[in-house]
Amino acid sequence: MGAFGHYLAAHFDTLRLEFWSLFIGGLANGFLYGMVAVGYTLVYGVLRLINFAHSEIFMSGGFASYFVMKALIGTSVPNGAATIGLIVVGILVGATVGAIVATLLERVAYRPLRRRNAPKLAYLISAIGASYFLFNMAGKEFGRYSISMPQPYINHTVFSVFGAGVQLYYIVIFVAGLIMLFSLDRLVATTRLGRSIRAVAQDAETASLMGVNIDRTIALTFIVGGALGGAAGYLFGLGTGVVYTMGFVPALKAFTAAVLGGIGNLRGAMIGGLLLGIAESLSVVFVQAAYIDVVAFGILVAVLLFRPTGILGERLGRAA
Amino acid sequence: MNLRLDKTVAAVASSALLMMAVPAVGIASSATAATRMIHKPTYTIGYEGPLSGGNQQLGLNMVFAVQLAINQANASGKLKFKLRLASYDDQGDPTISPTQAQAAVHNKSLVAIVGPAFSGATAAAEPFYSAAHIATVSPSATRVSLATNGWHNFFRVVADDGVQGPADADYLVKTKGFKSVYVVNDGTSYGAGLASAVAAQATSDGATVVAATVPGTSQCQNGTASATQYSAAATQAVASKATALFYGGYYCDLGLFLGALHSAGYSGAVMSGDGALSPALIQGTTPASAANGVLLTCACATSTNTTFNRAYQALSHFSAANATYAPESYDAANAIINAMKTLKTVTRSGIVNALHRLAYKGMTKVVKFQSNGNIAGSAIFVNKVNNGTITQLGLE
Repeated sequence: MGAFGHYLAAHFDTLRLEFWSLFIGGLANGFLYGMVAVGYTLVYGVLRLINFAHSEIFMSGGFASYFVMKALIGTSVPNGAATIGLIVVGILVGATVGAIVATLLERVAYRPLRRRNAPKLAYLISAIGASYFLFNMAGKEFGRYSISMPQPYINHTVFSVFGAGVQLYYIVIFVAGLIMLFSLDRLVATTRLGRSIRAVAQDAETASLMGVNIDRTIALTFIVGGALGGAAGYLFGLGTGVVYTMGFVPALKAFTAAVLGGIGNLRGAMIGGLLLGIAESLSVVFVQAAYIDVVAFGILVAVLLFRPTGILGERLGRAA
Repeated sequence: MNLRLDKTVAAVASSALLMMAVPAVGIASSATAATRMIHKPTYTIGYEGPLSGGNQQLGLNMVFAVQLAINQANASGKLKFKLRLASYDDQGDPTISPTQAQAAVHNKSLVAIVGPAFSGATAAAEPFYSAAHIATVSPSATRVSLATNGWHNFFRVVADDGVQGPADADYLVKTKGFKSVYVVNDGTSYGAGLASAVAAQATSDGATVVAATVPGTSQCQNGTASATQYSAAATQAVASKATALFYGGYYCDLGLFLGALHSAGYSGAVMSGDGALSPALIQGTTPASAANGVLLTCACATSTNTTFNRAYQALSHFSAANATYAPESYDAANAIINAMKTLKTVTRSGIVNALHRLAYKGMTKVVKFQSNGNIAGSAIFVNKVNNGTITQLGLE
């Protein structure tokens, strides 16, 4: 007991010292997870399927913004207004290409199956096939090396929170993430499109009888989710570079976050993402970094055991 | 260097090699003809390594360097004999290498071998060379156990796999004076092996060592972990207050880690091994400036000798800068030639004995062998990233 007490004391001491830097890094990862997780949750809401090719939407957004940034930045070191402009362009390019790839996926991999009333298993296979097609194509076209994203700024510590430095990169993620997630929340809660998404999620057949164009709603849902996923691809690439396999693990984590928050529940996905990112990061105080994924998926299993519908429950249809 | 070849490839290749054994015999008979010039006998230095198949380029890198050394020695006019080259293509394959070794042994004018190139091929060929007292000087076989078989004829001008980790630790702690080292490994057998060797030696050198495993990520195909782990891992490294960090792993994940270390405000030194020695490290580091100052070590040397580089390119028609093991092969061939110069009568076993006594200042390092055939000294080169390019600093 004494040894265990000492172990805990030592680790809580480390936690006290490193809490804020780990928290800030984890929060940044959490925002990225959240932005990808909403893509899973939105599609699940309207189609009751997991879009396993979402990881490639993320990857496509990352690559598209990489090529645009490479052309715009080259070897220069932007600052001031140029920095902000370039970040906005990067996010918009990532979002646009993410939305385009999502639309293509919906048209090619899902809509034909929906027309034929295919079983859910067919969607799953179709999604995995599309995912493999896309990332292998990217590997062939863009090379299989990790490529550094041209930086729109010189990353530095902007200010400190309780002694922990906050990097410009993290601030970009926080600001962009907050704006995008808040806008999405308002879009689904208040606009006409949001109402149709919620209606289709609640009961597609009835929504159709009430005059909601289901095909159009589904297509727009893919566009919205794809845009956030693609933008997240740019923000992720800004920190770790782009490579054809970049989508796989982050998207798996985001899927975990979506399930954690309650699949189909928009705010659940956002909160699940943030919680997952922070929990993972703080876990390194107690266990080695090698256990980060063990912790992440351990949390998922634990939550599902005690609350199978996730933290906020499964309810996109009722209230977003 | 260890290599495994596909069985079918090996089968096809060995049958092809049976046919290639014929010209090898041809070389032997023409050499006998040359010995008629009584006052200038001709001796053959053999090269054994992969000259076809998937590792052909490595073999070509080496054989051109051996040819260059022989050409220069012949042209110098100082030799009491003439030299010629015979190549034995083992494809780096341990199943083909014994056949090639036997062909070399049967070549009466052949007095020594540069090679074999690969460790597996060396282990398979050495019993034949050893029985015939033919000195073999490998530029590239790094398996530790090769020097433990009592082969008196076995030499290598490259450091073995067991040398690098301790040499790296000594460099950080003793040469550079870092008193606390954070040792990270990527969970691969290569990375973990190197990192644990560094950690053990750094500890015995008196440094404070903290070890951590940060597994390779799916971003780099070196594992399944998520690249998002690096922010937390970097925070830990900074919190350890270590002044130096050693990374056992490959360039891609190191690149991601360097970006995170940069973000976390890490200001200490970073060192890694040959797995990270690639221009792709700089390409994959965000921002690229975060790779500046990183030390990369390797048993392999990069040629910075412009005279050699020019002559090599003229012969091979490719650049010496990227020709891995070409400088070592050049040194191996010159070691043999210099050993021959010390002999009144050149014989196979005479060269073996002369190599044991040799101290020759080669291009990459002083070539002096331990009694087991290993090169004396650490023989590990340290490189540094300077403004986006990797430059060799020299031996550790």
